[in-house]
Amino acid sequence: MPDRKMFWRIVRRLFAAQRGRLLVILLALGASAAITAALLNLQVDARDRLTKEFRVFGANIIVAPRDSKSSGADVLTLDESIAQKVRQSLPPRASADSYLYLVANVSSTGSAQPVKAVIAGKRTEGINRSSWRSAIVTPRGNENLCSVGVKAAQQLHLQPTDHLTLKNDNREEPCISEIDDAHGDAQDSQIVVNLDAAQRLASLPGKVSLVQVSVAGTPRQIRDYIAALAQTVPSADVHGLRQFTDAEAKIYNRVSGLLTATTALVLALTGLCVMAAMSNVAMERKNDVGLMKAIGGATRRVLRLFLAEAALLGLVGGIVGAAAGLLLSIWLGKTVFGVAARPRLIVYPISVALTILVAIISSYPLRRLANISPASVFRGEA
Amino acid sequence: MFLRLVADSFGRRPRRKLLTGAALALGMAVVTAAFSVSLDVGDRLSHEFRALGANLLITPQADSLPLEIGGVDYRPVNSGSYLPQQDLGKIKTIFWRNNIVGFAPVMEVPAEVSIASQASSVKTTLVGTWAHHSVALPDERTYATGMEQTNSWWHVDGRWFRDDAAECIVGKSFAARTGIKPGDTLHINSADRSIALTVTGILSAGGPEDDAIVAPLQIAQQLANKPGQYRRLYVSALTKPEDDFARRNPSTMNAADLERWSCSPYASSIAYQVKQVLPGVDAHVIRRVAEGEGSILTRVRTLLWLASFAALLAAALAVGASSAASVIERRSEIGLMKAIGAGSGTIGFLLAAEQLLLAFVGGGVGYALGIILARILGEKIFGVAPQPSILVFVVILALAACVTLLGSAIPLHRASRYEPAPILRGE
Repeated sequence: MPDRKMFWRIVRRLFAAQRGRLLVILLALGASAAITAALLNLQVDARDRLTKEFRVFGANIIVAPRDSKSSGADVLTLDESIAQKVRQSLPPRASADSYLYLVANVSSTGSAQPVKAVIAGKRTEGINRSSWRSAIVTPRGNENLCSVGVKAAQQLHLQPTDHLTLKNDNREEPCISEIDDAHGDAQDSQIVVNLDAAQRLASLPGKVSLVQVSVAGTPRQIRDYIAALAQTVPSADVHGLRQFTDAEAKIYNRVSGLLTATTALVLALTGLCVMAAMSNVAMERKNDVGLMKAIGGATRRVLRLFLAEAALLGLVGGIVGAAAGLLLSIWLGKTVFGVAARPRLIVYPISVALTILVAIISSYPLRRLANISPASVFRGEA
Repeated sequence: MFLRLVADSFGRRPRRKLLTGAALALGMAVVTAAFSVSLDVGDRLSHEFRALGANLLITPQADSLPLEIGGVDYRPVNSGSYLPQQDLGKIKTIFWRNNIVGFAPVMEVPAEVSIASQASSVKTTLVGTWAHHSVALPDERTYATGMEQTNSWWHVDGRWFRDDAAECIVGKSFAARTGIKPGDTLHINSADRSIALTVTGILSAGGPEDDAIVAPLQIAQQLANKPGQYRRLYVSALTKPEDDFARRNPSTMNAADLERWSCSPYASSIAYQVKQVLPGVDAHVIRRVAEGEGSILTRVRTLLWLASFAALLAAALAVGASSAASVIERRSEIGLMKAIGAGSGTIGFLLAAEQLLLAFVGGGVGYALGIILARILGEKIFGVAPQPSILVFVVILALAACVTLLGSAIPLHRASRYEPAPILRGE
């Protein structure tokens, strides 16, 4: 017991004796722990964030009617109950829109002749949080609003809040126009109305043409979700919108590879740098080691002493530095993705452990000190 | 004498100097690699983003309203206007011609397909386009492009059709519904014209094309009796993410702004230039693709710069610490020099020169290592190595010098205040 007491006393003394130098090492360890924690946290968070970011591309999964050889109908439709099932199976950060497409004659107060246009009945089935400009496209509730694509508006010579009449066979639906922004794709020539109105117009109550699902996740998660969804609704055809799923998978893999590589490099570098700095300092301990050996310290005990010192330094540097790093990554996440990075608690112990490890490994050069003979140290040699 | 002192210092303690130099070189290598990759990532990723397909859509200016659902136009052949195919080569004459990585004209024809094995005929849409077509450019060269480039996610089981043959590929749902296999011969009727096509593959596109027949453009033109014309053109171009400046209307800009705008490869400025060379067209940026691309690219780039910055910080820290240590351990040497009459300035200058020499050597070696590292990284991740840049070299040398000088500044400052006597006494 007194032995241990002595041990810690010497360690305490070691700290007290060279405060300035210890501060430098502590600073280096702390900073390296901060960089480690910030980068690890950011890296974990960035992948997650990236999969969400991909949702700006919109839907990535389509639930469409399955073709059957016997069906002679012109339009293939799905039952709305399938859309319900899809909605129930949605993972937390996902949305689904049901669409019913038909072609109808559209006439407005301003245009003399009716124009044929694609009418898209739309109903949002999930919370559509960040999907691109969805707020504008979705007609709200029971108001008779229809969102008219720019090209369609041009053909109809529409002004915002003009009255439109959609006509299919002898069925008519009135609505008030709202002009959508330019999308550059098929949406520009469509008129988006409430799903119910489209169903009445097409006289297909309770039917939809397809359901578009937008799910965030890694390529693997999305594949799994498609497989699970296909089992939930076996009567429909569930497939990924390959244009986006393929490209997303490709880009995700590239970017996450890049991030991992950079993070690994920086971590390795940080470790090596701290080692270089610490071993430089460790070499200065020659005199101390010589003295301890001269008064009868066993090599192992002397080494243990210095290792304990290094581990303690690593612990303190790691605890303080990693906390700072996590805070840093929260702020960095805010600058990069506009949303604060969620601190992952697992990162904290990992960074502290890494820092201690690095600190202990950096004391490795002390092993060489074990071979010094005390006499040569005192003579001022070596 | 000065040089001799410096040379002597390196000669006497090669190990220690090597250690500091190695730390420096290593740090600078990582910083070089991170910078090179960050500089390059925009280009690389915008190539990757082309997997998303076209980001520009060209349509006739005076057109009737397209009846388009999910990328297939269901208008009858006689409604709406068409564009002449012979103009297409002009796209490769615009200022940003090298940024255009592919384009494909499209024309849909409603068709009735009769299959030899079945008595009845099935209604579907025939999409006419190019698989891999040689376009004659105005300067007499040719440029090969088509759906293989623009819609790289289209997967064909079997092989693509040849653009000059009576061949086609069949969408996978349509094939499943009708039992068509590669090698079958289809008889396609549209209005009063008829044509026989050999199926060369089954297409899985994940879009409405899965329920259609895709055939060479000239087949669609024959069926529709619109020789040399097309309905829509998809253009896939390498672009710069759009910012507020990119979204401004070019017709309201002054001359200087307009020049800056058209000299940036924004999707909208490329669309504007295409519109100028092709008469009677409307060029739209496909927002869904272009804006998604832009926001992701910006994020990834910022992230990488952050990582590079972290690398820089780590390197600075290490180099600073080791140069500080190397000054501290030379206390007795400094004391001796002072005792025999060296001024603080001279000693500071001597040590700084040593550190600088170390910085340049270490920085140079680090740069070379970093370029190799960046090559390995680039080739592993993107398959293309980033170009070494002189700018990075200059920045790295400057950084190395700054970091070592800063690292040794505090101990040097302290050293200048050392009293020689206690040091020499060993206190």
